[in-house]
Amino acid sequence: MTKTGVLIETADNAVKNTLWGVIAAAAKGGDVAAFLLDEKADSYKESLESYGVKEVVSISSHGVELAKRPEAAAKALADGVKTLGVTALLGVSSPVGNDLLSRTAVELNAPLALDCVDLDFADKTVKKSNFSGKAIATLEMTAEPFVCGIRPNSFEPEKQPAVCSIIDHTVAIENRDGVIIKSVEAATGKKDLTEANVIITGGRPMASAENFQILEECAQCLDAVVGASRAAVDAGYAPHSMQVGQTGKIVSPGLYIGCGLSGSVQHFAGMKTSRVIVAINTDKDAPIFTKSDYGIIGDLFEVVPALTRELKKQG
Amino acid sequence: MGSYLIVKSLIMAGLLISSFYLFWTKVKKLFHLMKAVDGVNSAIIDRIPERIGVLFKDVLGQTNVRRKKMPGWAHTLIFFGFLAVQPHSLELMIRGVFPGFSVGHLFPGLYNVYLFIADILAFLVLAGLAYAIYRRLLEKPKYLTMGKDANLIILFTGVIIISFHLINACQLVSDYAAHGYNYKGVFPVSTLAVSVLGLNTLSSVSKTIFFEVVYWIHMLTIMGFLIYIPGSKHLHLLAAAPNVFLKPLAREKAIKKTDIEDEDAESFGLGKINELNWYNVLNLYACTECGRCQEQCPADFSGKPLSPKAIVHDLKIELFRCSRMILDNKKDEIEPFVGETTGITSDILWSCTTCRACEDICPVNIQHLDFILEARKYQVLMKASFPEEMQETFTNLENQGNPWGFASDTRADWCRDLDIPTMEEKPDADILWFVGSAQSFDDRGIKIARSLASLLKKAGVSFAILGAREWGIGDTARRAGNEYLAQMMIMTNVELLNEYKPKKILTACPHTYNMLKNEYPGFGADYPVIHHSEFLLDLVNQGKLVPKKAGLGTITFHDSCYLGRWNGIFDAPRQLITKMNRGEKPVEMPRSRDKGFCCGAGGGRMFMEETPGTYINVERAREVIATDAECVAVACPFCSTMLQDGLKECDSNIKVLDLAELLDQQV
Repeated sequence: MTKTGVLIETADNAVKNTLWGVIAAAAKGGDVAAFLLDEKADSYKESLESYGVKEVVSISSHGVELAKRPEAAAKALADGVKTLGVTALLGVSSPVGNDLLSRTAVELNAPLALDCVDLDFADKTVKKSNFSGKAIATLEMTAEPFVCGIRPNSFEPEKQPAVCSIIDHTVAIENRDGVIIKSVEAATGKKDLTEANVIITGGRPMASAENFQILEECAQCLDAVVGASRAAVDAGYAPHSMQVGQTGKIVSPGLYIGCGLSGSVQHFAGMKTSRVIVAINTDKDAPIFTKSDYGIIGDLFEVVPALTRELKKQG
Repeated sequence: MGSYLIVKSLIMAGLLISSFYLFWTKVKKLFHLMKAVDGVNSAIIDRIPERIGVLFKDVLGQTNVRRKKMPGWAHTLIFFGFLAVQPHSLELMIRGVFPGFSVGHLFPGLYNVYLFIADILAFLVLAGLAYAIYRRLLEKPKYLTMGKDANLIILFTGVIIISFHLINACQLVSDYAAHGYNYKGVFPVSTLAVSVLGLNTLSSVSKTIFFEVVYWIHMLTIMGFLIYIPGSKHLHLLAAAPNVFLKPLAREKAIKKTDIEDEDAESFGLGKINELNWYNVLNLYACTECGRCQEQCPADFSGKPLSPKAIVHDLKIELFRCSRMILDNKKDEIEPFVGETTGITSDILWSCTTCRACEDICPVNIQHLDFILEARKYQVLMKASFPEEMQETFTNLENQGNPWGFASDTRADWCRDLDIPTMEEKPDADILWFVGSAQSFDDRGIKIARSLASLLKKAGVSFAILGAREWGIGDTARRAGNEYLAQMMIMTNVELLNEYKPKKILTACPHTYNMLKNEYPGFGADYPVIHHSEFLLDLVNQGKLVPKKAGLGTITFHDSCYLGRWNGIFDAPRQLITKMNRGEKPVEMPRSRDKGFCCGAGGGRMFMEETPGTYINVERAREVIATDAECVAVACPFCSTMLQDGLKECDSNIKVLDLAELLDQQV
């Protein structure tokens, strides 16, 4: 049986949600080996097992902090890929993923394709979306192993319990390429909007920062991230880091729930690639309804809590 | 006495020669600096008779400076009084060297008339100065620089004028001062000084000494002033008139076309101070920091770091700081000016909405945007430095030809059900309607476009659109400094337009209008363009559209910067509103027409975040609310969105409607 590798990204001591889809994609090509640049592989073992990962490869390098040293991490990863003999290394096309995958491809002198929306191991081809989704390019990967970044939410995660073993892979790397001078934490510890699969956004009618709590409660049930429109940010109800739109975050989640959004072009430009758009608005003529897959005409202060209650009921 | 006169004449000659020499070397250096900078000024100096007319009107007539009434009158009084004393002071100077020199004996009649007028005008300078001091001590407008420089100049001028009167007074009472000429009845104001100071009661020796003291004060102040001018902001005295003479005679102007294909070019835009052109430098010399630009600036008004006055000032300081390197041809040592050395930060450059209020109000016609827009070009093309959020907009403009990134082939989807022909289908249409991105993709803009389409059909106009082949006009990219992207977009449309050679182009977007009218001709597409405010007014005037009798309520009109200040269209929208609203003129906001306040969206700012300070659109919305109008009429899709958002922010339900939407309701 062939083996495929997946570069795992973690946040807050858990595997990032966008990885489950990538693991599902990798599983089509053989047994999945999850590469972790984190020595705490044990703590992820259980969750990785539930998605069918067969091997967890914990890569370390004598105390070099690989998570903060992409050039060292790429060398270590390349070494791991060669040692385990995987036919492909997959990862999520996030900023970190794109960085590490590209560097690793260079180390391996392997073909590289990023931001792929589909993958076929039999033909060794990947598909990429071009021109705002108007054209799909099919690329053939001409060597093995190849490296491939998957666009978030392109594959449905598949739960398939497995038993996995942990492999410790230590690589000696000369620590001479750079030093870390300073690490700066991002402003908010919240999950990244751009990688979220479900987003629930509040507009100006939220009326206060406190009222965003009702969106937070609903978001917890949906494992969603809360966003805000520019009007809500301007009014001071939410920080700019939560802003979705032309001048904020450009997002493409699987499900986008807009609460009290009028649907201005500046906002729509930032979320138009969402797979499913749900709008909640009291004004039946709000332009957002012409752009939504589902529309709920009603007061968000009634609809959202009702939705939260129902989601909680269903567990 | 005789030996004193010889000493006086020698000292006077020495001082005059050295002060005029110093003045001359300073001016010469300033002139050399103007010639030594590297930028190329492509403007042609033509229409000389017209320019001479401008000198009479703006400089001698002081009309431009008096657009601000009280300070303008104060300036006028100081200007004429200061000029009026000079011939007499010159005579006295020469007399200091050659004691026998006297003009009065040669042309007594003319001389007396001149002195009579000069004596009155000089006194009026004091009235002007009193107002200037009042402004600085009590009014203290925020936009006025309260520097040492300005105070020193007021002091200099005051001393020159007061000593002038005292000299005149002496000439009335002292034979020594009068130098054998009878000044009786010649000085209406200085005569009063004689009685107030009791000069008549002094002994003849005291009169002589008093005269000599004020004489020296007068002369030394003038010579000090002369040396001081070229290095101070009062370089204005020398540079203002030539700058006004060379001003762009037309209100309409195009952004400088950068030759992006020049393979020898090492840099694009304005990065280092030596890249200014001589006209830019003259602009800097002409500024006296009156602050009118800052007073009008929406960015400054809303608490942004930009002040047009500060930009001009800081660039001038940087130019003087680097003058040796420029003159000695050590230009390689000059660093880009955006940064810590000048205080001009990129935030300042990006705060500009390009509304042109600064240029419009400037009494000496400084072209502030020539600096700001060229500096943006350098930031984008050379440093790839621009507000983060513009990245997405630039990418979308490049890929899809619209700022939001909608698929370009859906550009004409807004009118799918309206049966509007494309130019391909109807190449002989009378009117090519260039719809523009905002009215093709934005739901708000689409409503405006559909109203206009309905009006054109009702009036039986033969028109066609470019359909999906139309591309973004390039205004946002160009004003956001991405000249390369802008030229790509412009060329796409230019080739398309030249394919159809339209008889006339109609547009409902002032940005599109400005580009087609003023900037596309430079790229090879020169066709008559008309904005929908003018076009619809024509249709109403011709009776092709007849507004209903019922009124629309109270309407105020918000001037779009690119329609008004950039292209001088102030009346057509107002006349159109009056015609469709039972003859009721729109109520005016305090800041309207050439002083109209920007909505905040120009210069690419529509696609940038607006921090710090307050929001420009909210400031404008408050002004709309204060008119008690039921509706604010606009003539630009960006203004429409910005005002709508601003009014929402103020919880106001005043309607924001485009002229086309209003008229469509009425016919």
